[in-house]
Amino acid sequence: MIVVIGGGPAGMSAALEIAKSGVEVTLLDAAPRLGGQYWRHLPDAWIRPSGAKYLYDQVKIFIDAIKESSHITYLRGAHVWSASNTGDGICINYLKDNAEKSLVAQKIVIATGAYDRALPFPGWDIPGVMTPGAAQALLKGSGVVVGKKIVVGGTGPFLLPVSLGLIGAGAHIVGIFEANSPSKWITSLRAMILNSSKIWEGKYFLTKLRKEGAPLHFGEVIIAASPGSDGNLRSVTVAKINRNSSLRKGSEKIIECDVAAIGWGFVPDLSIAGALGCAQKVDCDGTVIACVDEKQLSSNPRVWIVGELTGIGGHELSLVEGAIAGQAITGGAIDPALIKVRKRLQIFARALQRSYPVPQSRHSWLTEDTTICRCEEVTYCDIRESVSALGAMDARTSKLFTRAGMGLCQGRMCTRNVSEIVAQLRATQVLDAERISSSNRPTAAPISLGALSDGEKG
Amino acid sequence: MTPKTVHFQFNGVAVTATQGQTIAAALIADGWKSLRKTRVKGKPRSIFCGIGVCFDCVVIVDTIANQRSCLIEVTNGMNVASQS
Repeated sequence: MIVVIGGGPAGMSAALEIAKSGVEVTLLDAAPRLGGQYWRHLPDAWIRPSGAKYLYDQVKIFIDAIKESSHITYLRGAHVWSASNTGDGICINYLKDNAEKSLVAQKIVIATGAYDRALPFPGWDIPGVMTPGAAQALLKGSGVVVGKKIVVGGTGPFLLPVSLGLIGAGAHIVGIFEANSPSKWITSLRAMILNSSKIWEGKYFLTKLRKEGAPLHFGEVIIAASPGSDGNLRSVTVAKINRNSSLRKGSEKIIECDVAAIGWGFVPDLSIAGALGCAQKVDCDGTVIACVDEKQLSSNPRVWIVGELTGIGGHELSLVEGAIAGQAITGGAIDPALIKVRKRLQIFARALQRSYPVPQSRHSWLTEDTTICRCEEVTYCDIRESVSALGAMDARTSKLFTRAGMGLCQGRMCTRNVSEIVAQLRATQVLDAERISSSNRPTAAPISLGALSDGEKG
Repeated sequence: MTPKTVHFQFNGVAVTATQGQTIAAALIADGWKSLRKTRVKGKPRSIFCGIGVCFDCVVIVDTIANQRSCLIEVTNGMNVASQS
């Protein structure tokens, strides 16, 4: 049996390609509806806003094809919480309808996607501060606009469609604060020429945002958030950053808002890949990604890895990688056209990495009482003291002293930040081994002991 | 086809939502800014990642704690409560 984990663009593409060659495939997806984050959509009974129709038309083609295929078994709402190598295959344990189930596959495709990268700053734990992904998920999946006066910040092209979506749904975007300057693209002329459609897409977003009156500020960052008397977000502080990424003195401005959506790129979710011993490496921007060969095969001969896990590249690259893995896993020849498109999109993904780095000065925004680990409420002061007074040398030892990374999210939100803060305090660099080990965790989703032990597994 | 209206409770207060919405989305649409208070410092928290990764939006759903309100869709008669 072949199993695909993840029903976003990469996973759906892989499943359809496998089915095309007449091979049975089971598609596991945790969400109530297929599509992943990019193609998250409202249930069919809803009246779709015109802005969302374009994406829905795209995903509908995939969903219909999956439904119509007699070779695809789609398991909706299946949360894979662990996976292990057995002698004759891969055992996948998942939760569905509150019961634990498992299946054994001979080969699998992992397409578990990515989530927003968040950087800590004073006030980032106040209600109203969230990732752009959160604002978009609520809008795309539930038709809910998160606020009335919204500031958007961080870095990356994702900030633009998020802002447009919110405007389309009636929100007022007070400002978009993009940390990087568009001049960074100058070093990526080849990527731009090869991917002119992406440049037009960017231009479309910028023109539309200007038309809607949403002010876009380059080289500015949101460095603090403040609550009102009710404890919820009332304002953010923005500041300009210099060419060397330091904050420009005296440039701080306070902006009133009820939501701040701030994101710094994406983090691949490598939980399942790591559990199966798939080799990983550190990308040039410090992101841990899965190692794959030209056929998307990982270091585990039963595991193909596709989409954001192999490097953040967007939905088009995910579709192509999924199709390549689908062809490879059934032993078919790989379409050379797909290889060519993948190369072109990978060049663009590299250009994105170069153009949207996180500011080097980010730790200078922190104050002593800034929360670093949201789950365990560990502050910057706690982390600093774990280094200066207790001799912590990395995120793991700091965790033992402070509990940073020991909460419900299993360090998904804070561990990379803790690693980088500890390294900076020690005037050193984070080792690749530390980055890789902290991107792996024993369970991919929470499971109750009751569900584990109720004897209904099968 | 029109989506169905769903009624549920949050901390004993009746909330009306639309079928297909997550608990977090329905509560935010209903005007709830904070979903819980933190265990150690008693600080208010709401959604943060919105896609089930950060666990900031956890609530008690029908007596089961630590449920991610950004993932679970509302159903009629659901009893949702804040946890610390």
